[in-house]
Amino acid sequence: MAGRNVTYLSEANLITCVLQTGLAENVLDAAKNCGAQGATISYARGTGIRERMGLLGVTIDEQKEVIRIIVSEEQADRVFEAMYLAGGLDTPGKGIMFMTKLERVATYIPESVLKEIA
Amino acid sequence: MRYSQYLAQTNVRHKTVSYNLLTPKPVEGDPDALKPKKIEMTLKSAGNLLGPYSYVRIMDQIKAVVPLAVYLILFQVLVLRQPIDQAVSLCIGLAAVMVGLAVFMEGLSTGLMPFGKIIGDNLPKKASMTVVYIIIGILGVGVTFAEPAIGALQAFGASVDVRKAPYLFELLNNWTLPLVLMVGAGVGIAAILGTVRFVKGWSLKPMIYCALTPVALLSFYAWSDPNLVSILGLAWDCGAVTTGPVTVPLVLSLGIGIANAAGKGNSSLSGFGVVTLASLFPILAVLILSVFVSFQVSPEQIIAASQTASSNAQVELTAWDKTPLVEIVLGVRAILPLVLFLMFVLFVILKATLPNRMVTFYGLTLSILGMCIFNVGLTYGLGAIGTQTGEALPAAFMPLDIVEHSPHYPELIGFVICIGFAFLLGFGSTLAEPALNALGLTVQELTNGAFKKSMLMYSVAIGVAVGIALGVAKLIFHLDLMMMLLPLYAIGIIMTVLSTEEFVNVAWDSAGVTTGPVTVPLVLAMGLGLGNAVSAVEGFGILSLASICPIVAVLTMGLVIQFTQGSKATNES
Repeated sequence: MAGRNVTYLSEANLITCVLQTGLAENVLDAAKNCGAQGATISYARGTGIRERMGLLGVTIDEQKEVIRIIVSEEQADRVFEAMYLAGGLDTPGKGIMFMTKLERVATYIPESVLKEIA
Repeated sequence: MRYSQYLAQTNVRHKTVSYNLLTPKPVEGDPDALKPKKIEMTLKSAGNLLGPYSYVRIMDQIKAVVPLAVYLILFQVLVLRQPIDQAVSLCIGLAAVMVGLAVFMEGLSTGLMPFGKIIGDNLPKKASMTVVYIIIGILGVGVTFAEPAIGALQAFGASVDVRKAPYLFELLNNWTLPLVLMVGAGVGIAAILGTVRFVKGWSLKPMIYCALTPVALLSFYAWSDPNLVSILGLAWDCGAVTTGPVTVPLVLSLGIGIANAAGKGNSSLSGFGVVTLASLFPILAVLILSVFVSFQVSPEQIIAASQTASSNAQVELTAWDKTPLVEIVLGVRAILPLVLFLMFVLFVILKATLPNRMVTFYGLTLSILGMCIFNVGLTYGLGAIGTQTGEALPAAFMPLDIVEHSPHYPELIGFVICIGFAFLLGFGSTLAEPALNALGLTVQELTNGAFKKSMLMYSVAIGVAVGIALGVAKLIFHLDLMMMLLPLYAIGIIMTVLSTEEFVNVAWDSAGVTTGPVTVPLVLAMGLGLGNAVSAVEGFGILSLASICPIVAVLTMGLVIQFTQGSKATNES
């Protein structure tokens, strides 16, 4: 298979956001409005804080939604902040989010897009 | 972007704190230093947690109740031109229904369901299969008592005219406990058979035939006896009442747990079938009970007894009858036996402990509390508005004493309005039922998208709508319930023979799913009110028609899909 090549994307960050079920839609909307191109959502079960809260723990759903979004470094802070605010993470019990640097990213990039930036 | 949003976003202050400062550090001589400590909450942050928690749960119920109530009220005021009676107590009642259901459902999922799951997972390991089946059977009785809609049946007993339907009156007024027990026994047997089916992997079709044969025979017997005819509507309605929000998840979670433990739980269809059986056996049980009662007392005795009782009752109308106290007591009585039984099984037979005792205890308290609030709402909210609309409904086509200027419309248009009203009520309330959405998703996955979710939801909703419309027509035109049920069930059976196992499972279960805790009391009350107004013998039967019609609708849909797919396959080959 000659003639195939791989284009790497550099300067990319990964935002991961763990939320109580039902909150993801809002956060996704906010991220997309700030220029995030796509998101992966998976379902998970959380543990830890609930057990330590005693009876108030029932107010936190055990089921979580995990949103993962790859963003460019330029937009990273903007998207991160928008998601934080949209999810209401400044109130207790909503979720947690973090950002990591990505070494390299690769996916299908249309010819036209590559030509445009070249 | 709105200015307020802009402000909110530009006003964000940033600060960085090292996480090192927040994590626990090892302390010399204190081995517990690294263990997580209990979190102390301030009042404000507790409120921040509780706010959205209660909001989401109450909103769910508001979405289920408010559109229905608004539809009924608007119809009564605008089309029937009849003002709402006792509007204040009605609103409080409806609010109680919503709050009660929200609290009860939360209690169910945090309190009762973990019980069911633990028992289902552990029971087959520690006890013989016979013991397992006995426990499931008793549980069937318990969950029937706990079912919110079953209280509705008892609540409407007083409205039956003793002269026209003596046995119905007797059953609903003096035999309520045996009646609920028999319904519970029916559910219990259904739960046992359903679990045996899980474990052995039996087909559902022969079980439907076997269950329906005695039901049909006994129905014929009752039909031939003029005194027993009036019982048929109640008996067939009981099937729809039992398969509510307590029975279905609890029995299912137990059954699936046991099937898993027996190594047979992998079939994608293993969850189906119990609901069907749980709606067929209670019919049989109630029929048996009424035949038994008919051997015990004669209609004349019942009428005589009721007359002495009513003359006594008029003298003493105590505070007990006027306050919601009796509903609260009924609520406690409904849940407590189930809770005690589950505790007995867990602690005495399994010798297990609960993983999170405080949360479970909280859930159980909620379920009892919710049941009490819901019971109050049932009488003053759902029951009241259902009865009101039902009683005013005939004003569309015939003169009524309670409504001025009735009839409002020419007779034919009046009939169309009434039946159209019933159709829309059935259609809307079914589409709003959350359980149907869940069933639709499961079915879509099961059939690899051949049977779309929306297709199932609409065929069930149309089925229920036709069923309720037929039921209302039955009351207005004084039709014979058996003449409608028998052909429909006959069609259902023929289609069952023709359909594949998957569709049979889905179709027969869809009937039970649609009759939730809001729809059942509302439709029952409306039927009884309407029955009174048009002086029908009894107002039951609407629910039973609303159960068989969706079965036929879904089976038809399934056959159509089967046929088109079959012809596609032959075309391709």
